[in-house]
Amino acid sequence: MERREVSFRIYRYNPQVDRHPFYDNFKVAAERGITVLRVLNHIKENLEPRLTFRAYCQAGICGSCAVRVNGVSKLACTTQVWDELAESGDEPILLEPLNNLEVIRDLLVDIDPLLEKLKSNSSWLTSSIPEQQMGHKEHIVSETEFEVIDSASDCILCASCYSECSMMGVNRRYISPPVLLKAFRMNNDTRETLAGERLKQVTADHGLWDCTHCYRCVEHCCKKIPIMDGIHRLREEAFERRMSGSEGARHAQVFFDDIRDNGRLKEMTLPLRTKGVAGSLAMIPLALKMAIKMRTPPLFTKKIPGIKRVRELYLRLEKLNAERQSS
Amino acid sequence: MDHTFDLVIVGAGGGGLMAALEALRTNPQTSVAVISKVYPTRSHTSAAQGGVNAALANKDKDDTVELHVFDTIKGGDYLADQDAVEYLCSQAPLVVRELENLGAPFSRFPDGTIAQRPFGGTVKDRCCYCADKTGHTLLHTLFEQCLRRGVKFFNEYFLLSLEHDDGECQGVVAINMRSSAIEAFSARTVILATGGHAKMYWNRSSNAAGNTGDGQAAAFRSGISLKDMEFIQFHPTGLRKSGLLVTEAARGEGGYLLNRHGERFMARYAPQKMELGPRDLVARSMETEILEGNGFTSAAGSYLELDLRHLGAGTIKKKLPQIRELSMNFEGIDPIEEPIPVRPTAHYSMGGIDVNMAQTALCGIYAIGECACVSVHGANRLGGNSLLDILVFGKLAGREAALEAPRRASRPVSPHALKNAAAEIKSYISHKRYERYGIMREEMGKAMADNAGIYRTEVKLRQAVEDISTLRDRFRHIRLFDTGTVYNTNLFQILELKNMLDLALCVSMTSLERQESRGAHYRDDFPRRNDNAWHKHSLCTQSSDGDVKLCSTAVTMGKYGLEARSY
Ligand SMILES: Cc1cc2nc3c(=O)[nH]c(=O)nc-3n(C[C@H](O)[C@H](O)[C@H](O)COP(=O)(O)OP(=O)(O)OC[C@H]3O[C@@H](n4cnc5c(N)ncnc54)[C@H](O)[C@@H]3O)c2cc1C
Ligand code: SF4
Ligand code: SF4
Ligand code: FES
Repeated sequence: MERREVSFRIYRYNPQVDRHPFYDNFKVAAERGITVLRVLNHIKENLEPRLTFRAYCQAGICGSCAVRVNGVSKLACTTQVWDELAESGDEPILLEPLNNLEVIRDLLVDIDPLLEKLKSNSSWLTSSIPEQQMGHKEHIVSETEFEVIDSASDCILCASCYSECSMMGVNRRYISPPVLLKAFRMNNDTRETLAGERLKQVTADHGLWDCTHCYRCVEHCCKKIPIMDGIHRLREEAFERRMSGSEGARHAQVFFDDIRDNGRLKEMTLPLRTKGVAGSLAMIPLALKMAIKMRTPPLFTKKIPGIKRVRELYLRLEKLNAERQSS
Repeated sequence: MDHTFDLVIVGAGGGGLMAALEALRTNPQTSVAVISKVYPTRSHTSAAQGGVNAALANKDKDDTVELHVFDTIKGGDYLADQDAVEYLCSQAPLVVRELENLGAPFSRFPDGTIAQRPFGGTVKDRCCYCADKTGHTLLHTLFEQCLRRGVKFFNEYFLLSLEHDDGECQGVVAINMRSSAIEAFSARTVILATGGHAKMYWNRSSNAAGNTGDGQAAAFRSGISLKDMEFIQFHPTGLRKSGLLVTEAARGEGGYLLNRHGERFMARYAPQKMELGPRDLVARSMETEILEGNGFTSAAGSYLELDLRHLGAGTIKKKLPQIRELSMNFEGIDPIEEPIPVRPTAHYSMGGIDVNMAQTALCGIYAIGECACVSVHGANRLGGNSLLDILVFGKLAGREAALEAPRRASRPVSPHALKNAAAEIKSYISHKRYERYGIMREEMGKAMADNAGIYRTEVKLRQAVEDISTLRDRFRHIRLFDTGTVYNTNLFQILELKNMLDLALCVSMTSLERQESRGAHYRDDFPRRNDNAWHKHSLCTQSSDGDVKLCSTAVTMGKYGLEARSY
């Protein structure tokens, strides 16, 4: 069995004694096939009993052990040390707590904000069957209806996407990807009766319309769930339910127009067009934060080279739509 | 901080959450708290893949509750209490449909009804499932419904003790893991739902790190008996390093089991069925190979190989993607190119807190799920019956507790209990102590796997009892190196070790006592079932000096008389 000495650089912070977080270095003899979690356990049992992190199932199903490994949020228990070595070369493997959540101690973060958001967005099914009559008859659900929500029900609430989400990075009140995913899962369940109510909650401030379409949540979901498909579907539903008078929906309309006209978004003037002058002024603090994080959009937007094709696509779509409505 | 509730539920797995929902449905005025050492959705119920049994007759139209009852009794080698099994199976269609009504996303048949598949030890296909994530989806559904009903959760609170005043429930003492504050939860009624204890086999266990039997140990120390502790189920194919489960499907698709001579050794044990013999037989055969030195050796111990290469990359990718992912994640091995290192792994604890239906011997205190022993599983649990157990008895206990609470006086937890808990924790910090958690836990896992594992003999079991007793003595010197009060995981490890050691002593002593082979308990020196002497439940009680006292109680029989268990 291949074996070698591997260095780890681990984020440490115990609010009781440390003024500031610091990094601790450990060298561990590791064999091929070892996971990051096994290394953490080894360090805790043999080198530093105070090292603090969460883990439970050790099998990638409970969602306890997400941390950032070399800067990327993932499950410690399913991450191979050898794969990380291939990435980091001779550098030590860096282990840090998830982003966008308060650190309680070392690698352990407070996930209560995620639970609070689940609560305030009705992340549960409201069945048509009254409670006292439950258990006697099952709903009839077709295989295809089940498939729509199958993958969304894989979510293990590990918060990896919460940590990677670019909107979370600038606004911690943002609804967050797993909560949007849950809303999608419930609203597209044929047994659900309160979809409209939920959609109202989800489209409130800091909600659905704030998503920047950066796809980071999808890239980093430890269960490979196509979260963005869910977010798109929720947006469509909002239009279908004519919840389009809101600022968020205006934002989406502007988005639509921009792509048609330029092939890309004129982000700098987006707030002005969707929020009006007063609303845009209110966004200055957020814009500053985004600038600090180097996420400011370019000031001028050039048309993309293939814009003609894009416009053709739009025309065809509009024609199709008109045809559908007249028939 | 002190709390007062009508009902305190310890454990937020499927059992605990089902109880909470049912209590609120029975009486919405009930004040309910759920205490859990992990966030509810992280409980080990999430790991159950296969499914949950119920005679819905969606697949086999002629399936009945009666057939389910018989499969369960026979599967348990006639040690299950038949009245409890009747209740379990008759409630099954109701609870499964209820979970469906509440939102559980079950897989479906083309006609839109809940899909069912075959599972080991049953004559009909009655296992209801959601792909290979049944436990996960049931647990999430229950949690979502608890959020909806506003159940009060105390997440990351660790149970320290169960309190009663001369047999009358007072509540529990728990420690807030984030702050180390020791808090009293006075309660008219308590339901223990803390899950199993098969993690005492540590690296040779498919269980979560926290399946350490905390509720069982607390009940034991408060004077409640533990029942049938010798019965631990082993699964043939656990991964070598972690004990994680490689499901039976791998062998179902045609995988070979090989020893280090490259021999398909099952030919010598089950020439007809080969790798697809019954679970306990395959597990025992594998163990024999390892004991006779035919296993491969590695730093993580001896193992055998599960070879899938001849199935070809196509089949492996299409039909066994989960197994491939598991092997790559946890052994660093791609089964398309290399065989998977496996060995039998401890999987489920049939024994637990002695209850009658869900009620313990103490007034107002209930226990359900894997921490309890009703007994519906007898000497061997059928796959798919455990999720059923937690739903059915979770519901029963929730209802009973909600009805009973208003009739009971409130008896607050005594301040002494808090002081004792604080003193115990403080004592671990002493500089004079020197034993280390990691080393002791490793020795415990090895002692149990080597001497109270699949093959048991008097000599080995005596050794296990001795080793575990020595470890319990050494535990008096264990040292808590982390002296902080913010989320002190080192402390919880030590408390869990203490619990596992107490239960390990019960497991090894009852195994030594039972001189027969029945279900999962296999004695090399007594290879046959002996109904005359041993058709009874074993009981362990703690004596005043901390020792384990053994006695027994009769099995409740019913329609079905004793018969040989053959398949
Ligand atoms: C890999 C695997 C696959 C399985 N597959 C199946 C299957 O297909 N079908 C089937 O029927 N069964 C299956 N089982 C068995 C089944 O999953 C379990 O028996 C069942 O889920 C146990 O549920 P529970 O509610 O009793 O406990 P758990 O889900 O284990 O929950 C225990 C709860 O107690 C809490 N707790 C524990 N100790 C403390 C403490 N000290 N303080 C506070 N809280 C505490 C925990 O936080 C947790 O919330 C499987 C088991 C395993 C290991
Ligand atoms: S796509 Fe939306 S939800 Fe996903 S990470 Fe980006 S901003 Fe967050
Ligand atoms: S969506 Fe994926 S990454 Fe996000 S919490 Fe769920 S499982 Fe984790
Ligand atoms: S420990 Fe459960 S997902 Fe990693």
